[in-house]
Amino acid sequence: MREKATPTLQPSNNEIIMKEINQKQLLETLETRVESHLTQAIHQFQNLTKKELLQAATDGGWSIAQCLEHLNSYGDYYLPLIEKNLKGADNQSENGSFKSSWLGNYFIRMMEPTTGKQKFKAFKGHIPVLELDAYAVIAEFIRQQEQLLDLLKKAEKLDLNSIRIPISITRFIKLKLGDVFQFIIAHDERHIQQAMRVHKNPNNS
Amino acid sequence: MLTTLQLLKQTTQAIYPLSDEDWEAFSGIWKPLSARRKEILTVAGEREKYLYFVIEGVQRVYYFDDQNRESTLVFTYAPSFGGVIDALMLQQPSRYYYETLTPSLFLRASVFDLQLLIETRPAIATLMRQGVTVALSGVLERLVELQTFSTEERYKRLLQRSPHLLQLVPHKYLANYLGMDATNFSKFINKVKI
Repeated sequence: MREKATPTLQPSNNEIIMKEINQKQLLETLETRVESHLTQAIHQFQNLTKKELLQAATDGGWSIAQCLEHLNSYGDYYLPLIEKNLKGADNQSENGSFKSSWLGNYFIRMMEPTTGKQKFKAFKGHIPVLELDAYAVIAEFIRQQEQLLDLLKKAEKLDLNSIRIPISITRFIKLKLGDVFQFIIAHDERHIQQAMRVHKNPNNS
Repeated sequence: MLTTLQLLKQTTQAIYPLSDEDWEAFSGIWKPLSARRKEILTVAGEREKYLYFVIEGVQRVYYFDDQNRESTLVFTYAPSFGGVIDALMLQQPSRYYYETLTPSLFLRASVFDLQLLIETRPAIATLMRQGVTVALSGVLERLVELQTFSTEERYKRLLQRSPHLLQLVPHKYLANYLGMDATNFSKFINKVKI
């Protein structure tokens, strides 16, 4: 699934002209990615032992449970907000297209594992504690991914350009819903990959 | 690879073998349907318009009421029949929901086409009676488990019967099906080895 590039990814040059893309296609691509994240959580994470889930990474980094808890803290902020903003939103534009904003595209590229190689420090309010109820964290992660799928479905007929959502780290910046979806899902991908690395390389910590 | 109709035929023959002519008529009423994850196919309060045959994916029949009480009654997965069978056969509003838990593929037959065949072809009436009776048998067996077995025994039974569900379905649905809370369920993941 990963070979499908996200439609907004642009060649890295400083004078990026945002391309209009087909909204339906964008949502389908995103849905496929959320579906694969869900499958990973259901197939792998929920079946691991408590010890495996809470084991710190070999480099001292986050455990699997911490990776998912970190994602949950973003879901806690964004999902209810998106839900609220979908109600009474404008219908899809006539040609059914979506265009990323410059800033939205910048954030997405930074977060996307294929284009943003840089590591970041987690923001305040998104730093997971060490001691977690691992299974409750996974159950909540799965619930949130199911909700995200539902939101993507609900957004099909709405205009992803006109709905704007304030971002979690500073409410002064608002991004288009189409960019917020892409950002959240790129961020999910990043930390699910991180959790998978912890899972595959569990010993010698 | 079996075609979907061949899979249906194999499953049907195991319940009650049909003559070529009856199979011809029976196989003619099915149409393919695909559904995404968490799509509700049958809504409580409405009639069950279809009999489903599962080709791919996992689904559940569940009860949900105005006090937010939820009960997962049955899982369906390939190759088996699905839908709210009592509502279908009695032609009464369904008391339950039927929803997909994973992306799913089905064949489905409309109740009108099915009823017509049941009324005109005795072998198909027998096939349906056999099928419903086997399903009843499964429900009675499950009642015994729910009323008699400990939660750990129920968990082990599920592992024996449908181990693949643990990797396909979020555990909250499995815990609910077994009549235990999610915390209890996760204890068994650590304790009971597959």
